[in-house]
Amino acid sequence: MKKVILTMIALVTISLTVSAQKQVSTKTHFKFFSSTSVEDIEANNYASVGTIDPASGDIVFSVPMQSFEFEKALMQKHFNSAKFLDTKANPKAKLTGKIANLEAVNFSKDGSYEADVKGNLTINGVTKPVTEKATVVVKDGKISLNSKFNITLADYEVAFEKGKPSTNIAKTVEVTVEAHY
Amino acid sequence: MTTKKKILIILTTGVLIAVSVALYMFNQPARDVQATTTDYSFNASTIVNEYLTDANAANAKYLDEEGVSKVLEITGIVATISEDFNNQKVILLKNDTDKAGVSATFTEETNAHTNNVKIGDEITIKGVIRSGAAYDSDLEMYENVIIDKCDIVSK
Repeated sequence: MKKVILTMIALVTISLTVSAQKQVSTKTHFKFFSSTSVEDIEANNYASVGTIDPASGDIVFSVPMQSFEFEKALMQKHFNSAKFLDTKANPKAKLTGKIANLEAVNFSKDGSYEADVKGNLTINGVTKPVTEKATVVVKDGKISLNSKFNITLADYEVAFEKGKPSTNIAKTVEVTVEAHY
Repeated sequence: MTTKKKILIILTTGVLIAVSVALYMFNQPARDVQATTTDYSFNASTIVNEYLTDANAANAKYLDEEGVSKVLEITGIVATISEDFNNQKVILLKNDTDKAGVSATFTEETNAHTNNVKIGDEITIKGVIRSGAAYDSDLEMYENVIIDKCDIVSK
C-alpha cells in the first residue's frame, strides 16, 4: 500500500514538473505582409496565445483572426469576409508543431538556436502540414521565438476570384511571428 | 446647349460621383469603437460561461462576418495588467473561480486611463469582441475572451 502511495506521489510530482516546464506566451506579434506591384498590404495581430514545451519541443499558437488590424478599414472587412478568411466561421487560426531537431536547442543555456519546426497550420478551417525554420533565443532563463515564413493563400482555400482584391493581394504572403514566453 | 454637351455633362458628373464613392469606400476610416453604442453589458463571468457552454451559439451572437463585431461593456476584477508588443495596455478581468477571463487591450488614446488601475480593482471596460473563451486541448489551457480597442467606463 505504501509503495502504491509513493508511486502515486512520484507520478504526480513528475507530471507537475513537466507541466510546470511548459511555458505560455501572451506577448506575441503575428504579421501578414503581402506585396504586389500595385500595393503593399500589412496586418498586425498582438493578441495570440502560444505555448512551448522545452521537454517535448511542442510549439502551439492560437491566433484570433479578427484581431488582425489593417491600415484601411475596407481591407480589414475583406480579410474577415466569408470570401476570404471567414473569421466568423473560423475565428482562430492554429499552429501545432514540434521542434524536429530538439537536440540542437539547449533551453538551459543562454544562446540563439535554429529550430526546425514541423507541424500543422490551420487557417480558414483548412489544415496543411508545414515545415519552417524558427529562431529560439534563451536569455536569463527566458525563452523567445522568432520566425518568418511564406504561406500560399490558395492552399488554405483563400482566394479572391475577381475584382481589385484579386490583383492587389499577393498569392503568397509573408508571415512574421514573434513571441516572448 | 446642344444635346451632345448635355450628355457630356451628365457623363462627367456620373464619373465624378463614382470616383468619389470609390475613393470614400477605399479610404473609409477605421471603426470608432468608443463612439459606437454598446450592444451588451455584463460581468466577465457571464460572457466566459456563455462561451464555455456553447461557443458556436456565442460566436453567432457576437461575431460579425466582416469583423465589425459586437461592442461590449464588461465588468470584472482586475487579475493582471501587462503591455503587448504594440505598447498597448492589456488588462485581464477574471474571477478567481472562473476557468477563463476577459483580456482587454487598450489603445494609444486610452492607455493612460489605466494608470490608476490596480490588481483586485473592479472596473468596467468597453471594447469590441475579437474572439471567445474556450478550452484548447493543444495549448492545454483555457483561452480568454479577447476584447480590443478598449477604454474604461466610469460609473
